[in-house]
Amino acid sequence: MADASIEFKGSSFTLSVLHLKTLVLADIRNDLEKKVAQAPDFFYLVPIVVNIEKIASSVDYQAIKSLIEEFNFTFVGFTGAVSKEQRKIIRELGFSFVNTTKVDTSQKAIVAEEALVKEAEKTVATALSKLYTDKVHRGQIRSGQQVYAKGQNLVVIGSVSAGAEVIADGNIHVYGSLRGRAIAGAKGHHKAQIYCQKLEAELVSINGNYWLSESMEQHWSSPVYIHLNDNELTSSKLI
Amino acid sequence: MARVIVVTSGKGGVGKTTSSAAIGLGLALKGNKVVLIDFDIGLRNLDLIMGCERRVVYDFVNVINGEATLNQALIKDKRVSSLSILPASQTRDKDALNKENVGKVLEELGKSYDFIVCDSPAGIEAGAMMALYYADEAIVTTNPEVSSVRDSDRILGMLASRSRRAELGLEPIKEHLLLTRYSPKRVEEGEMLSVEDVEDILSIPLLGVIPESQAVLKASNAGEPVILDTMSDAGKAYQDVVDRLLGETIDFRFLIAEKKGIFSRMFGG
Repeated sequence: MADASIEFKGSSFTLSVLHLKTLVLADIRNDLEKKVAQAPDFFYLVPIVVNIEKIASSVDYQAIKSLIEEFNFTFVGFTGAVSKEQRKIIRELGFSFVNTTKVDTSQKAIVAEEALVKEAEKTVATALSKLYTDKVHRGQIRSGQQVYAKGQNLVVIGSVSAGAEVIADGNIHVYGSLRGRAIAGAKGHHKAQIYCQKLEAELVSINGNYWLSESMEQHWSSPVYIHLNDNELTSSKLI
Repeated sequence: MARVIVVTSGKGGVGKTTSSAAIGLGLALKGNKVVLIDFDIGLRNLDLIMGCERRVVYDFVNVINGEATLNQALIKDKRVSSLSILPASQTRDKDALNKENVGKVLEELGKSYDFIVCDSPAGIEAGAMMALYYADEAIVTTNPEVSSVRDSDRILGMLASRSRRAELGLEPIKEHLLLTRYSPKRVEEGEMLSVEDVEDILSIPLLGVIPESQAVLKASNAGEPVILDTMSDAGKAYQDVVDRLLGETIDFRFLIAEKKGIFSRMFGG
């Protein structure tokens, strides 16, 4: 007989554990909202184990799972030093209970963990770059105005005046002249790009790397796109 | 319904009051009932340009506070009977106006006038916001230089976001570009932005180009709006602006520097 089509093997992963300190769902929701708002990219689809050690035994497990999933986490199971009866209830409800193993503090393990985290972040980032939707602004963005496409790409059908500011967590497209400031990948996204029909910007920035007008001489007043190449800003002609 | 037109700019000294006076008088000369309102509370100038400074008894702030009726405060122009001026207060400041009462005054004026021309103060503070809040149309007065263009751009942003029309989600304010103090010669020499440059940056329809002219200063000091000086380039250009506001299509003039004729060249004219 040929080899089996599947094989089970044990591996250890670094999972984020959410420690609950209260049973009040509204409070948990509030705090989660604040936390996730700080770095939505980072938390997106991250696997989460919920530690219920610090809260009483009468827990509404289903409600907690739903709440976690509402914030786009991937729910894995519950953990914590709880009674045998409670574990039984958890299993009977159809949730898995995850046992913690002793922490391996050797240098090797830490390095491996870091690599894992990096890998996970990368996966999340690639997933995100595909997921951004577009915020479309029709008309000119005038001096003193600011438009922010939170968690989106920004499409401007019109020019961006000197003294105006356009910001997006994703890409920025300007179908007109870009004379103001454009900040793409504002929450950290190294693949973000800036496109415009005429580059006369005061400042362009991608993932925290920025250029002032003086650095744009090569393609000044031309249709260009700006992107990161090995963490260095690069501009290329569109046509 | 009266057309409420605000003459605004952001930057000071670009010719808002001169333009308000010329356009208001021009519209009235064409047979329209026009009221000119000075929103520059504390720095009233419109009455000087209109030559009625000695006839101010009550002012806009008195009307707002209910200390005088509109009819008491309105000054009838001596040249054109269909034109009235509502002067600003010299002794108060811009906080003396409030949205609700300004709205009431404009509503009442709207019943008996065809045009309400609001002369805005400079800046982007409360006074300027008050002048543009109720506008249906805006004449954005701009000089062909970068700081004026930048400030006009800022005001255009305000017109699109802070006006009554914007707040209620109505049809946006109709924007007109009025380029003043234009000198084709200096444009040719590269010292001044051209009409095309300004249009490219602001991208709003051009209403008129007023050439730089000695006649403007002379007219201001005499209290005779420059549109009455029918021999001057500036007067003619303002007349074109008025005709365009009334829906006529007129070619733009005074955009090219005058070439010296052969005789003036020969005799050093």
